[in-house]
Amino acid sequence: MVQAEMVEATEFQALSNKYNVSGVPQTTINDGAANITGAVPESNMLEELKRITGK
Amino acid sequence: MEKLLNEDVVKQIEEAFAPMKESVHVMFFGQKEGCDYCADTQQLLEEVVAISDKLSIEIYDLDDDADVAEKFNVDKAPGTVLATKDGETVSDYGIRYAGIPSGHEFTSLIQDILLVAGRDSGLTQDMRNFLKELTEPVLLQVFVTPT
Repeated sequence: MVQAEMVEATEFQALSNKYNVSGVPQTTINDGAANITGAVPESNMLEELKRITGK
Repeated sequence: MEKLLNEDVVKQIEEAFAPMKESVHVMFFGQKEGCDYCADTQQLLEEVVAISDKLSIEIYDLDDDADVAEKFNVDKAPGTVLATKDGETVSDYGIRYAGIPSGHEFTSLIQDILLVAGRDSGLTQDMRNFLKELTEPVLLQVFVTPT
């Protein structure tokens, strides 16, 4: 149900541009439903996922 | 071909892999044309897998093995999937690398291998409870640069 992908931004620039990657790491959830720059502690990740999935 | 990992690095990885309990299966997806980092990524993974007999690797081509790529949701080359293999059964843990896992991401690769080998996500109970109720797919993409 959950897939996590490292994306090497310089190799996949079109995708980086699509999600406006300006600083790394950037975590993009569900094709841009959330874009978070910097570290994402687990509690923040959980909040974001709850918000996005409406749970 | 010259090795990508020097002796010191191999020794460090050997030590890191020593407590590995269970096996990990690496799936690599390359592409024949327009893939600058495919050859290096494949070589890097093969050198890592050679360090432990708990590790195995299968090499695929994004175009020639389109059915496997689709099944494992791989749409970029070089693409790497960390999975487990029991007999002919491959279990997917949802871990992907698009591009070469070098620099900081090489450390992530080694840690991810150890994570899968331990068969424990290490997540909090809150997160586990949330994931149990999850009914729609979630895609997390972490953009990084190789420094």
